[in-house]
Amino acid sequence: MLKLEKLTKVYPARPGEFAGGIRDADIDLSAGTFFTLLGPSGCGKTTTLRCIAGLETPDSGRIIVGGTPLYDRQAGIAVPLHRRNIGMVFQSYAIWPHMSVFENVAFPMRVSKDRRYSGAEIKTAVGEALDIVGLGGYAQRSATQLSGGQQQRVALARAIVHRPKLLLLDEPLSNLDASLREEMRLELKRLQRELGITAVYVTHDQSEALAMSDVIAVIEKGRMVQVGSPRDIYFSPVNEFVAGFVGHTNILRGRVGADGAGVGPCRSVRLEGGGEIRCRARNGVGPDVAISIRPEDIVLDAGAGPAAAADGTQNVLRGEVTAASFLGNVVHYEIRPENSAQIFRVEAAPATPFDLGSAVTMRFPPEAALAVARG
Amino acid sequence: MTIEQDWPRVSQQKAGARASWLRLDQTRVLVIALAIILGILVAPPAIILLLRSLSITNPDATVGGWTLTHYLRFFTNPDLYRTLVNSLTFALFSTVVALLFGGTLAWLVERTNTRFKALAYLTTVISMGTPYILYVSAWLFLLGRSGPFNDAWRTMTGTRQVLFNPYSLTGMILIEGFLWSPLVFLLLSSTFRSANADLEEAARMSGAGVLRTVWSVSIRMATPAIAALALFVFIRAIEAFEVPALVGMPGNVDVLTTDVYRSIKESIPPDLGYASAYSVVLLVAVAILLHFYGKLSRNAGRYSTVTGKGYRPRQFDLGKWRPVGDALVIFNFLIVLVLPLLALLWLSLLPYMRPMRPSGVAQFSLANFATVLSSEYYRTLAINTLIVGVVAASVGMILALFTGWLSARRKAGAQFVDQLATMPLVFPGIVMGVAFLMIFLSVPLPIYGTIWALAIAYTVRYLPYGLRYTYAGVLQISNELEEAAGASGATPLQSLRRVIAPLLSPALLSGWLFIFLIATKELAVAVLLSGPSSPVVAVGMYDLWVNGQGGELAAFGLIWAAVMTLVASVFYLAGGRAGGAGAH
Repeated sequence: MLKLEKLTKVYPARPGEFAGGIRDADIDLSAGTFFTLLGPSGCGKTTTLRCIAGLETPDSGRIIVGGTPLYDRQAGIAVPLHRRNIGMVFQSYAIWPHMSVFENVAFPMRVSKDRRYSGAEIKTAVGEALDIVGLGGYAQRSATQLSGGQQQRVALARAIVHRPKLLLLDEPLSNLDASLREEMRLELKRLQRELGITAVYVTHDQSEALAMSDVIAVIEKGRMVQVGSPRDIYFSPVNEFVAGFVGHTNILRGRVGADGAGVGPCRSVRLEGGGEIRCRARNGVGPDVAISIRPEDIVLDAGAGPAAAADGTQNVLRGEVTAASFLGNVVHYEIRPENSAQIFRVEAAPATPFDLGSAVTMRFPPEAALAVARG
Repeated sequence: MTIEQDWPRVSQQKAGARASWLRLDQTRVLVIALAIILGILVAPPAIILLLRSLSITNPDATVGGWTLTHYLRFFTNPDLYRTLVNSLTFALFSTVVALLFGGTLAWLVERTNTRFKALAYLTTVISMGTPYILYVSAWLFLLGRSGPFNDAWRTMTGTRQVLFNPYSLTGMILIEGFLWSPLVFLLLSSTFRSANADLEEAARMSGAGVLRTVWSVSIRMATPAIAALALFVFIRAIEAFEVPALVGMPGNVDVLTTDVYRSIKESIPPDLGYASAYSVVLLVAVAILLHFYGKLSRNAGRYSTVTGKGYRPRQFDLGKWRPVGDALVIFNFLIVLVLPLLALLWLSLLPYMRPMRPSGVAQFSLANFATVLSSEYYRTLAINTLIVGVVAASVGMILALFTGWLSARRKAGAQFVDQLATMPLVFPGIVMGVAFLMIFLSVPLPIYGTIWALAIAYTVRYLPYGLRYTYAGVLQISNELEEAAGASGATPLQSLRRVIAPLLSPALLSGWLFIFLIATKELAVAVLLSGPSSPVVAVGMYDLWVNGQGGELAAFGLIWAAVMTLVASVFYLAGGRAGGAGAH
């Protein structure tokens, strides 16, 4: 449905220097996919989206939607944005304040190049679009009387009113308050599935990406470093950046021991701060690696911990509680291990609290620690 | 890092190579069309001045051969030094008067608990609608030989001497200064309004008194804006024509602009070569000054720290000085509004000019008003002026809309179009007049002496002002609103018409009214371009004053000023108060 081939658009600050943009992006999505471009600000995710929309002209590469090339550097094709038939929701919603809700939503039909729509057709289509986003009955409101969430819905209705094949969303939830954001997240996902539309979603919020997407592309400094399902991205990050950016994690640095290199799923890694742990490793990494351990995978015990933990099947580290914050359903601890300066973040159930300064034992199975490329 | 090193190099060599294979889209066509139209309008005045200043003008008005004589004559003119000193003195001191007076007033009204603030706004609005010539003639009457001041002086002392001769450099400075003070008031009041009162409060909390706070915080914060405004008023005073023509020429105080005027109007045949050389020198001088102004005004926003909306800075309590503030506001109201209006009313009710004494009341009649209202001539004046104002404002704002939009959105080639449209700013009115006079005399179209000649000249002259309104206006409209239209399938021109233009309409209206208001009172261009068959209000008033028909001038002027004040009120209410700040 959407295909990007070697899509490149860079903004050099000075020759050879990276100032923003995207490079060599390759993607092939099937119809109905909810695709998310995820990355920190300035990584190139919005540039990618704007290239697909036609708001930016790429430097090179190819963009194909539904078999039709929209941009092809070699073939000299550059379809202007108003002929791409794409729906787009902007970060600021971009609701025209001088028009009513109805006129905002009707606009794409009024300026349509394919055919002229009759008043009745426009009325029906706008009514349907407003119903879909849950704003039936708001048609005659002035756009300026709407709340942020409602404006968001109008923007969405405007983007889908002419039934585009592709829906582009540029951080649409970032201007909403937290509870509304949760609600709109589910709503957007439901809507996308109902319409069967292919969606490209830009966000820097990893929880949004994990919750909504079928496919996520993590972008770092203009490169798509990993493309995969939310589970892939979360459980098998390709490198230190992806592991650190998607979800909270503890990153340890170390060197794969000579003994364990390349043998079996578990390796022994000597840590930079001292000590050694056993972990899973992605294929082909090493010898210098970063190890990611999710805070929720670490089990805390008071004192020296149960004797069973010392049987060698688990990694065991002793340490001291240096900080604790109570969040209701969970407590975040910071633990300083005995022989290392590296602070660990650990999430534990609130049932058995640990005092500040108390000695604890952390344990986690080798499968919970993943050695990845440093980044 | 390696990622950065192997970044492709394509981007650095893009624009040029790529332009050829991109289709000719709407914006590109628009840029090219605008460049051609603006080129035709804006380039000829500069070109013809340069050519003529370097060409020999034969006695039969034909042009032949190159020469530097005109420049030599200009630089070796023994009077040049005196004229230059006059011009600089005039500009410098009238700037000081306008800034001190208008600035103090703006601060009092915006930031203190002075009373009668409405009077200051009323004065400003009415003065925006009143032609300069009308003001100048009213003050000339007030300060003149038979005016109330000199008259009272003679009655008191019994001498035949005058206390004050307005036809002097001092008179010119005072009149020009008061003429500009409403604009200074208008622009500085927006500066003071946007000042952050927290910073002043912080100074007060630290133990500083009111005066100390004003001096070390308020004034310092407004300094960049004041400096830019001062240079702007100075440039306008160098270019000024009304006061030098009405006050300076009768008093034999010549400045640069009246010198140019004399070389056209008072030598037969008109000394076009000399006037052109003179004009080119003036152009260069103004261009240099404007360059510095540009630098200053870019700094002007540096300290403006407006944050919230609907935010109103706290006001200083003047305490025992409050009556002084009140007095200044009332003084401004009297000197800039009431006295000139009273003088005009007095003149309009009398058959001939005479001192303001109770004995005159017996001769009051409405004869002047009757003449003005029934005369074909005055009707023509009014209609011509309205047509010229409407055409110049409309055409100017349409060009400004396209140019401002392209420029604010940084479309390819827009910078060139923007520079073309800004170029007329360097032309003093009289120079613009000289240039268009020569153009209209040399084109084979029957345009010289018609109101269309004026309409074209005004369109060009005021285009930069319109552009400031549209450019600033477009910048305030989020780019996403336009991109959303594009993504919805609208072409660039559809976006402009259906999204940008409606959202820009307040700025368009303000810009239109601004051009209309200044075009209908402009004298410097009109005095050279308006012919016997195309008289306009400013020139008509000038002739009336020079011919000593003060009664009809006053009657007509009062009616005209009343109508224009209505327009000015709309301008003020439409947000001109804020928009005007960006207008220069």
